[in-house]
Amino acid sequence: MRFIGAVLIALLWIGLTSLKTEAFQYEGDKGKLSLTGYLEGKAVYAFDGDTPEENPSVELGLELKASSASWLSTKIFLQAVDDGKVINPKNKALFNQFDRIYQDKNPYVNINEAYLDIYTGKVDFRLGVQKFAWGRLDEINPTDNLNTMDLTEGGTNDEIERKIGVPSLKINMYSDLANVELGWVPVYVPYRLPQPDERWFPKVLKPPEIIKTDTLVGDIPVNTIYQDIDLPPDTVGNSEMGVRVSKYIGGWDISCSYFTGYDTLPLMDAPVDLTVKLLNPLALDYQINAQVTMVPEIHRMDVFGFDFTTTMSSFTIRGEYAYFKNKYYNQKLDPVLEQLVTKARQDEIYKDFIVKYLASGGRDNVQVYHIDPHIPIQEDSMKYGLGLDYIHGDTSVSIQCIQEFIPNYDEDKPVYFNKNGVDTMLTFLFKQFFLQNTMEFNMRAAYDIEFQDVIIKPSLKYNFTDNLQGTIGVLFISSKYNDSLLGQFDDNDEIFAKLRCAF
Amino acid sequence: MKCTCYGYAIIVFFALSLTYSIPAQSADMTAYQIVKKSEDLLDQAKDSKADMLMILVNNKGQKRERTLNAFVKRYGNNKSKSIVFFSSPTDVKGTSFLVWTNEKKEDKQWLYLPALQRVRQISPSGKGESFMGTELTFFDMGSQDIDDYTYNLIKDETVKGELCYVIEATPKKVEFYSKVILWIRKENFIPSKADFYDTKGQYQKQGIFENVKNIKGINTPTHIEMHNVQNGRATMIELSNILYDSGLKEDIFTERYMTRGN
Repeated sequence: MRFIGAVLIALLWIGLTSLKTEAFQYEGDKGKLSLTGYLEGKAVYAFDGDTPEENPSVELGLELKASSASWLSTKIFLQAVDDGKVINPKNKALFNQFDRIYQDKNPYVNINEAYLDIYTGKVDFRLGVQKFAWGRLDEINPTDNLNTMDLTEGGTNDEIERKIGVPSLKINMYSDLANVELGWVPVYVPYRLPQPDERWFPKVLKPPEIIKTDTLVGDIPVNTIYQDIDLPPDTVGNSEMGVRVSKYIGGWDISCSYFTGYDTLPLMDAPVDLTVKLLNPLALDYQINAQVTMVPEIHRMDVFGFDFTTTMSSFTIRGEYAYFKNKYYNQKLDPVLEQLVTKARQDEIYKDFIVKYLASGGRDNVQVYHIDPHIPIQEDSMKYGLGLDYIHGDTSVSIQCIQEFIPNYDEDKPVYFNKNGVDTMLTFLFKQFFLQNTMEFNMRAAYDIEFQDVIIKPSLKYNFTDNLQGTIGVLFISSKYNDSLLGQFDDNDEIFAKLRCAF
Repeated sequence: MKCTCYGYAIIVFFALSLTYSIPAQSADMTAYQIVKKSEDLLDQAKDSKADMLMILVNNKGQKRERTLNAFVKRYGNNKSKSIVFFSSPTDVKGTSFLVWTNEKKEDKQWLYLPALQRVRQISPSGKGESFMGTELTFFDMGSQDIDDYTYNLIKDETVKGELCYVIEATPKKVEFYSKVILWIRKENFIPSKADFYDTKGQYQKQGIFENVKNIKGINTPTHIEMHNVQNGRATMIELSNILYDSGLKEDIFTERYMTRGN
């Protein structure tokens, strides 16, 4: 059924693109105006039929650029999407919202970027919804924190697609001494997640369906509620700010940066309401149910960064380092929840229950105990990486090694995506053009050493014309663990096909 | 993407570098002197800019188009800076490529891809490789030392009604071509065509330089073709809106303009 939809879309496009498509462009004495865009369809075939399905998607992108003087220009990039990943949307809003984690809507319009540029002698201003791009590594940039991430595709899509444009002000100052970039995000825009029943919802944010106990109560059933974010008040103190100083010295592009703001990725507490029901007062027979509320948390952090690029012989060398002060990590949920219902803890609850039960004269035979386990814990850390690129004609190869290190890692409080304070990711990119750049083979892969996670994403892109492009690829994910960064999507192997008509 | 963008900047230099020739009193000139005369005039214009349309034709006759705007600034002693901005097709629109050339050092190159929104320094690619699917190699487009070749004036020949010197250029060290035959117009010293032979001595491709226009006193061929007879492909380049010595600002050749666009 999914492929039938894809074929229909393909036929429609072939019909459409047999017409020569042209962008609208105007250039006159008083300025320039251009309207370009694309229509893209995507179909996914999941290898595992038990995973949540993804229907064919269609996306219309429109980009308007205008400049009325040499010092003034604007860009508006909108995407109208019929998103096949969203299965059961409940939100009727048309536009993606800047204050929500769970957008839960389809179809929708996304403001990818919309800003005004003002150029003066040595200073440029950009005001509006925009994306910053700091750092030198590919895909993973520890110094790049002004934009949060759209994780509705599990982070498997390209970096620029993951990044959420945020309403902000950017000031670039140029001088012979150095170039300085200032970014100010007055109101925090949260990351985005799919709904829990969708294909790319992170398994690590799903509490277990039961909490195992070693007591007579047996397994405790868990019901989970996902709460959207409560944003901090709109004050200057709650805004985010970053500064980056860059300089080219003797063949080296180097930058130092500082960021103060919130994490770009999800942090969630999981307060638990244990409902204790006395089934048989004489036998003191209890029933316990747990309701976990996944509550998004945000914490301020400071990031001190450094990055560089240079070339040596035929190689480009890139490096990036960031020190995170006051960063928070999500503790692993299962052990924390199990700690909440140990025998000793249950005994405390039963004792308290009986006291209240007796005090109420036997009326309060159902009581609720609220427990806040404080899942996010604060750990200063650092993340750094080195990349090497080699280009020869139509071939390019890029490898990277990126490591996260938590110096004061608490082994009694294990966090996700890190083993004993270390997580090391190797990435690999191979690109080859064929037939006068008409065809492109692209192979992306990553391997996490500590968790033995593997992701491989080969794809083949063919340009039927300058305006019509088809891509087919495979996404393969494997891991020993089901709660590692990639392992949580271990079942999501798929084939994908895209057709894109640009105009 | 990045590997194929290399050379766009230089092609302008290449195309224009063939143009700074003036009529000469050439009665008894040697082959070396004829070629040297063009070489000596290369740095006449301090800066230049042009719009380019590149048409790639495959062996089935199917065509693909690329348009770009190119800017070059020269500083003497073979130092130069060049930048190109891609205008079409849409998947490369907004891409820019910056090259700083210094005779004594390796070229420095930066690439800006709108899809990544990052400027990245990249290493020079293999000189014998094609760029962007064209029939021109990086070697074709780069500036070459005249003393790396020996020259032999073979004969005079008329090409499309224009009398030309026919000169055989043989590299002292064979790297990419075993020889190049040049047809240089007697009237203005602008090449009319060039035949390239591969390292095995086989005829590989032919360059054609036509539609010569006088722009600000400089004769400029505005239509360039490269036909690869071995694979049946061709590349056509049309130059337009050419401007010399317009006083290009230094900051055009910086990261700021790479991201901002022309």
